[in-house]
Amino acid sequence: MSPLQTYCQNQAATNHHLSLLWGILVWGILVSTSLVATSEEIISESPITATERNHWSFRPLQRRAVPEFETVPSARQRLDVFILSQVKKHQLEPENEALRSTLGRRLFFDLCGLPPHPRQLERFLRDASPDAYERLVDQLLASPHHGEHWAQYWLDLARYAETDGFEFDAIRKDAWKYRNWVIDALNLNMPYDRFLAMQVAGDELAPEDPQGRIATMFCLCGPDMPDINSQEERRHNVLNELAATVGSVFLGLQIGCAQCHNHKFDPVSQADFYRFRAIFEPAVQIIKNQSLHALAETSTSISPNYLMVRGDWRRPGPEVQPAVPRIANPSENPLHIDKLPNSTGRRTALAAWLTQADNPLTARVITNRLWQYHFGKGLAPASSDFGSGSQPSHPDLLDWLARDLVQHGWNLKHLHRMIVTSRTYRQKRASAVKSIHDPENVWLSYFSMRRLSGETIRDAMLASSDFLSSTRSERGVMPPLPEELRKTLLKNQWQVTEPMASHYRRSIYVFARRNLRYPIFDAFDRPDGNISCPQRDQSTTAPQSLLLLNSTLSLEAAQHLAGCLLRQHKNIDEPTFQEMFQRVFSRSPTPLELETVSRFYKIQVDLLTAEARNTKSLALPIPFPTKIDPYMAAALTDVCLAMFNSNEFLYLD
Amino acid sequence: MNTITINATTPSAVSNRRQWLMNAGGGAGMVALTSLLGKETAAEQTTSAHFSPRAKRVIWLFMDGGPSHMDLFDPKPDLVKYSGHPLPESFGNVMTRRDVAQNPLLGPIKPFRPRGQSGLEISDFLPHTAACADEILVIRSVHGDSVNHPQSVYQMNTGSLLMGRPSVGSWIAYGLGTENQDMPAFVVLPDPGGGLKGGPPAWGNGFLPASFQGVTMRPGNAPILDLQPQKKISSWQQRGILGLAQKFNREHAGQRDNNDQLSARIAAYELAFRMQTAAPGLVDINRETSATHSLYGLDDAKTKEFGQRCLLARRMVESGVRFVQLYSSASNGWDAHQNVLTNHSENCARTDKPIAGLIRDLRQRGLLEDTLIIWGGEFGRMPMSEQGKGRDHNPWGYSYWLAGAGIQGGRAYGATDPIGLRATENKVHIHDLHATILHLMGLDHELLGFFHNGLDERLTGPGEARVVDEVVT
Repeated sequence: MSPLQTYCQNQAATNHHLSLLWGILVWGILVSTSLVATSEEIISESPITATERNHWSFRPLQRRAVPEFETVPSARQRLDVFILSQVKKHQLEPENEALRSTLGRRLFFDLCGLPPHPRQLERFLRDASPDAYERLVDQLLASPHHGEHWAQYWLDLARYAETDGFEFDAIRKDAWKYRNWVIDALNLNMPYDRFLAMQVAGDELAPEDPQGRIATMFCLCGPDMPDINSQEERRHNVLNELAATVGSVFLGLQIGCAQCHNHKFDPVSQADFYRFRAIFEPAVQIIKNQSLHALAETSTSISPNYLMVRGDWRRPGPEVQPAVPRIANPSENPLHIDKLPNSTGRRTALAAWLTQADNPLTARVITNRLWQYHFGKGLAPASSDFGSGSQPSHPDLLDWLARDLVQHGWNLKHLHRMIVTSRTYRQKRASAVKSIHDPENVWLSYFSMRRLSGETIRDAMLASSDFLSSTRSERGVMPPLPEELRKTLLKNQWQVTEPMASHYRRSIYVFARRNLRYPIFDAFDRPDGNISCPQRDQSTTAPQSLLLLNSTLSLEAAQHLAGCLLRQHKNIDEPTFQEMFQRVFSRSPTPLELETVSRFYKIQVDLLTAEARNTKSLALPIPFPTKIDPYMAAALTDVCLAMFNSNEFLYLD
Repeated sequence: MNTITINATTPSAVSNRRQWLMNAGGGAGMVALTSLLGKETAAEQTTSAHFSPRAKRVIWLFMDGGPSHMDLFDPKPDLVKYSGHPLPESFGNVMTRRDVAQNPLLGPIKPFRPRGQSGLEISDFLPHTAACADEILVIRSVHGDSVNHPQSVYQMNTGSLLMGRPSVGSWIAYGLGTENQDMPAFVVLPDPGGGLKGGPPAWGNGFLPASFQGVTMRPGNAPILDLQPQKKISSWQQRGILGLAQKFNREHAGQRDNNDQLSARIAAYELAFRMQTAAPGLVDINRETSATHSLYGLDDAKTKEFGQRCLLARRMVESGVRFVQLYSSASNGWDAHQNVLTNHSENCARTDKPIAGLIRDLRQRGLLEDTLIIWGGEFGRMPMSEQGKGRDHNPWGYSYWLAGAGIQGGRAYGATDPIGLRATENKVHIHDLHATILHLMGLDHELLGFFHNGLDERLTGPGEARVVDEVVT
């Protein structure tokens, strides 16, 4: 017998066992002994304790006496009373209302993600009627740009991209339909309970309407590897990712943590996770080498679903029945599932449970998200982690707002309106004292300055020269990409869209390739679309500065702005710079600023003229009116580029 | 805004400094900047290791596609003998990518020989690396969990088969920061021929702040994206533009009590401006002697491209970049499904001499002592043949080699079975390899954590991972 044969015989027994182990998924390989692993046979889980039930987010929405509105004269909305009482309690002074021009800019960016056009701002500033502010709010909420801006927050949560990811990163040809569905739903002010239900069970709820299926693409937006060896493994990965995302987005619970084993202090058990996953099992059909699309069920027959031991797709454990996490279900009533003509009805049942009025999580979670996007920080700080996240700063307010939202038929625009018309929202930015006493602005005695997102920066650059296209897109557009980046992709993965005019559409319509984010979005903290992102980072890095200073995008935007100014002004002098300030900062320059800009401009003109470069090598305004001296025109481009590199452009007061 | 919660188990020095910055109102932005900022913070960051590090920097030579261990670093006399025979049944079921389990075994393509004083066996495919045998430690028992390229590229880089988690370089940048105020902590030198199977997410920052992302650089005048002004903006023009913007910025910040975020962005502009000068100097290999050029094979068309990047890698670590990753992935990389001989001849010809040059150059400059070199791909290859002369993917057992960082070379650690199918002795899972790399950098893989979405995340995951003591001693 050869050494090999001997060896093989000795190894044969162990190899079989080992090959099972080797395939174990991601994290599950060796679970430390302190964790309770569920065996192959029986479910092991601790009962929910009273302490767990008593965690703030699982308690029913509180109906406390609302502070007297009328006794607080400075309050504009009832929510102000909650805020002001805490401000007072913490011995702070609420800030006064911000300047009207600041408020105008704030509202335009916050509600529509765009700067006000100087004429729009002018109209608002001149409107002396007492409800001018409220009418502007209504006008902006009714604008189609509102949905285009707010959809991005939702797409971050939905880990939206138009491609699969992994090696081939193939295009999902219908992904854009979901993006546009979100934009439309927000613009049409679809009630949130409906918005949610459609994304979980649109195919069951609206079987005749193609939009119903499109809405369920939410569930399958994540990364996926269609050519993976084992399609069983693929389906397992997709289902786990789907269940984890639905849990975190709608319930604010990080149930995905439990997919491999139970955690000691987590009330969501591994069995809870797989029960929840079972709700979606009949709806996930995958076909080898084909991208994911939408949920679909074709039969009412039910095959058994299992807990997967240690999260391993090869190790089905005990059978589980579809159910919601026990901790989120204090009544302990089982999910009421009625079969539908062509489907199991599980997801319809889930949608009904999620949106029933006494479900405290759903309303609290969405209310807190909206608050976070308006103020930069949620009342509860961890907006997708209500399970272990800390107590809200204003628990009574959160509950009052959540109840109010439900009472108003889950009307999101109602909530937006209430927030942005409040006294709290209309405050000035911090004074020096404030930022010392409450640097994180927990008590909201001032308005927290914030940086614009990469998408908004791009939109605002284009909008400032009236160059932003208002056309919407189906498949995302691919504007030119720096060659160095394009080369990191496979062939033909970034084919510049024709015609060129389409490159100036809003950022939400720029192609979302999972393996390569568009550079300005990437630099400014756009999430990668692999995991649901409840809140973006706000990093400050040198590559951001390099991009704003040196990219083709910035320079072209500066050339467009210069061109736009030269359309309105024959000469380059103070009125030109005044309009430039209006377009970029939404305000007039101070005399000192005018002097600074004029002086800089003159120096650049002198230097450029002395240099006498060939005019073809100048960054001339687009379009370039030939009557203007090219060196003067190029100097104007320089000024415009400096404006886009100013913090006042990047930050919202 | 403060989405970043630093876990309580983060090393105290790092944690306290970050916490302080956050409390000071800087938030994530401020933290991010410190990884690109001045020497005063750099000094602080180098002390933030958990224990005294063996290596201060890493160069990872990533051989994308999966080089064949039994044809390069893992001699298998039995495979010579049984070439052409089927895989004995006793090996049980083998999961493969392309159903090659029933194919006849394929003997090693080229002979192995003992090399150097140590006698470490290396294949004739790699004459130059073989001449450095006494510097390298081959781990012959690395294993991972997927037969697919992208999953394995992600696992080797991030510890996870799924997309979107932070890469080793990001974790190290997060843990240790940079040594150079003008350069990022984590630099990636992609193959200009493209083709990495999994794309840029391989060097992504995942849920870590964006500033810990690998910054891609390349040889030539434009080493970093948007490093230089557009052609129609001359450098004096740009200085003026930046001057005006910064004047606005200082006034704006002054009216806002010099808010930390705003001050940080002013500093970021200054840094960006310095990078414009520093980075091209760093990548300017014309400053190197002709002896160095030929050491890396820059005088030969075959080795020039890869040699340039190896030389750049040395210049990076020399100037304080913490983690450099260099990919060899063009034309499908090492993915030798059809013909190992032609594929590996080509890839070895491109990379062998430059890699040996890198080892020698670091040695002669005294840098090898505290620089860790890592060589390997996302997996190895199967002992069975594919299409006659090729081999399929094999994550179940393959080789990696390490050099530098005071590691005793001329050794092999661990073993696969007699045909190289599976790791059997002293197995090193990818998590163990990561734990070992972090350990060499002075970081404890259990302490280097980041709290995200309800979990304390680590590079090595929640399970156990082992620092391979025999490697580090």
